[in-house]
Amino acid sequence: MKRRVLLVSLLLVLALSLGASAEGVVTMMGVWGGQELEAFQEVMDAFTAKTGITVQFEGTRDLPTLLQTRIAAGNPPDVAALPGPGAMKEYVEQGALIDLNNVLDAKVLAEDYNDAWIELGTYQDGLYALTFAADIKSLVWYRPDVFAEKGYEVPATWEEMEALMDQMVANGDTPWAIGLESGAASGWPATDWIEDIMLRTAGPEVYDQWVNHEIPWTDERVQEAFEIFGKIARNSDYVYGGPVTVLSTNFGDSVAELFTDPPRAMMHRQASFVTSFIQDANPDVVIGEDVAFFGFPMIKPEHGNPMLGAGDMIGQFNDTPEAAAFMNFLASPEAQEIWANRLGKLGTNNKIDPAAYPDDLTRDMARLLNEADVFRFDGSDSMAAAVGSGAFWEGVLMYVGGDDLSDVLEFIENVAADSY
Amino acid sequence: MNWQKLKRKLPRLVVNIVVIAAIVIWFVPTLGLLITSFRPASDVAYTGWWTALSSPLKFTQYTVENYKNVLSSGGMLIAFRNSFIIAIGGTVIPVFFAALAAFGLSKLNFQGRGFFYALIVMMLVVPTQMTFVPVLRLYNKLSLSGTFGGLWLVHTGYGLPFSIFMLHTFFQSLPDELFEAAHIDGASIWTTFIRLAIPLSVPALASLVIFQFLAVWNDLLVALIYLGGHQSVAPLTMRLSSLVGSHGQDWHLLTAAAFISMTVPLIVFLALQKYFVRGLMGGAVKG
Repeated sequence: MKRRVLLVSLLLVLALSLGASAEGVVTMMGVWGGQELEAFQEVMDAFTAKTGITVQFEGTRDLPTLLQTRIAAGNPPDVAALPGPGAMKEYVEQGALIDLNNVLDAKVLAEDYNDAWIELGTYQDGLYALTFAADIKSLVWYRPDVFAEKGYEVPATWEEMEALMDQMVANGDTPWAIGLESGAASGWPATDWIEDIMLRTAGPEVYDQWVNHEIPWTDERVQEAFEIFGKIARNSDYVYGGPVTVLSTNFGDSVAELFTDPPRAMMHRQASFVTSFIQDANPDVVIGEDVAFFGFPMIKPEHGNPMLGAGDMIGQFNDTPEAAAFMNFLASPEAQEIWANRLGKLGTNNKIDPAAYPDDLTRDMARLLNEADVFRFDGSDSMAAAVGSGAFWEGVLMYVGGDDLSDVLEFIENVAADSY
Repeated sequence: MNWQKLKRKLPRLVVNIVVIAAIVIWFVPTLGLLITSFRPASDVAYTGWWTALSSPLKFTQYTVENYKNVLSSGGMLIAFRNSFIIAIGGTVIPVFFAALAAFGLSKLNFQGRGFFYALIVMMLVVPTQMTFVPVLRLYNKLSLSGTFGGLWLVHTGYGLPFSIFMLHTFFQSLPDELFEAAHIDGASIWTTFIRLAIPLSVPALASLVIFQFLAVWNDLLVALIYLGGHQSVAPLTMRLSSLVGSHGQDWHLLTAAAFISMTVPLIVFLALQKYFVRGLMGGAVKG
């Protein structure tokens, strides 16, 4: 028995000695997995080839929990993907993030980046996040062959959209496929819908006030946005399977309804990343030929054609020269071209070679992003977590499930009132 | 006559029905997972796993592609190795110390024994999550974070209260006469523990080992916090969770991954099973 105790203590000592950290290393934490991780591996490899510094990547989908714990415990990674602007602000207030104005090349920032990206990462006079790549969300996916065959036209305004939906219903088709199930995050696709509508019915200023909770959730403009969404999602004529299917279908599976024979639905509103789901379920579909997108139509002309999106925001936590070198590399077109090319993401550095995009579809998206009058980050990601990734999700599920709108909005407002 | 027979059999019948129903309810999701793991991603997106049951022998509808993908993804071997290192250390150490502590608390007479036992049981109530930040801070000071030894220590800490509680209950059920007899025969405390308490408690130890092994093997959160997710130290759970994209792409791979990860605990369970069945006290006390 004494021998066993000795063995155990020996093993302990051995294990303790394994964890020493090396020189010339950047630690990074991110959410990416699968294909995304492979693509990011290429970005990291390119950096290592160039500088000789290795990047130790930790991937986890529990990033917000893990990052917050590590910050609180005093050993954050050197560099990390940030969950969103809301989280960024919280980390700044905790004094955890480093001002990137002291890290990134000022010339690159001024010349290569649109104000929108700088603004997104700016808080309290400092730049705390580099938006390394973007996804755009205001996209409606459809099948051009089906539209051509049935004589449907891509709508440019919401009136045309409503007319199109009625035309589809009269033809015996179902206009939309919507799926809100996403495990613990169920409901987020609906929040994207409502944000897109809010941007178009109330305009970007009111949208910002809403996100910052300067107007209450019971405001009539919020109510209007919910109602426009409800007209579709709560109506079995407009959405495949009615509210029950909407609530129980996984967001990634719902786009598959467009590719059944005959198609069960005509349109699907989702971010650019949906193409990977389409190809998972239908390997034969050629993206860009068999499936295409149009921008979510404008609703009130005075608010123009805004674009809702999300970005891969990167923040720096430790002030080491290696981390600074890595941040500068991520800001360069070189790194973003790899990322954009492998994943169909949209680069934020405007010096990116358009040829880097994998297909015409992605080039179109990049063009749409550049042309948008206004860009806004996904609102629910920018709100306080209790609302943006809590009550808002729950609220839209209740609403689609048939609850009274005023009850739903009061419920969210009560949570919001406590968390701002 | 018939009625009499029925009346005699009825309770048994009811028990059987309940047991079978419980098995079916428990088994169906696992079966669904198993079938899904053999279906191509394109089928999974359109139809439920039960559609495969309508023609279960049509083998063309199955594929081992998911398993191939999971096993061929990089770093799988390292992840298996890490999981073994973590799980073995994270099981042996707490069970060993829990046996010592439980024995002392239930069979040795010393002051404040009840108080210490109550203190340990109270630890069961502390949520693991609450301890993360302070313990991690301490770990950073001692440079224990990111090491297997550190992780063993945490798993020992988190596992001990329950293990002690469980073994204590078991040791309490052993007759004191047995230990008195050993004492009279001149056995030291250490000999009593090794020669008497341990062999008698093999069934309890075996179930505890399974509990603890499963908990550590399946753990993702604790490993993420104290070990970090870097490939060289990441256990299987972490490797598998990174197969899925940030929006949940490729989740069908997880079904295959779940079965791959399940095999090891299953082997452990089957290997230890015979110890549960063995009689607890066979021939220990003779009148």
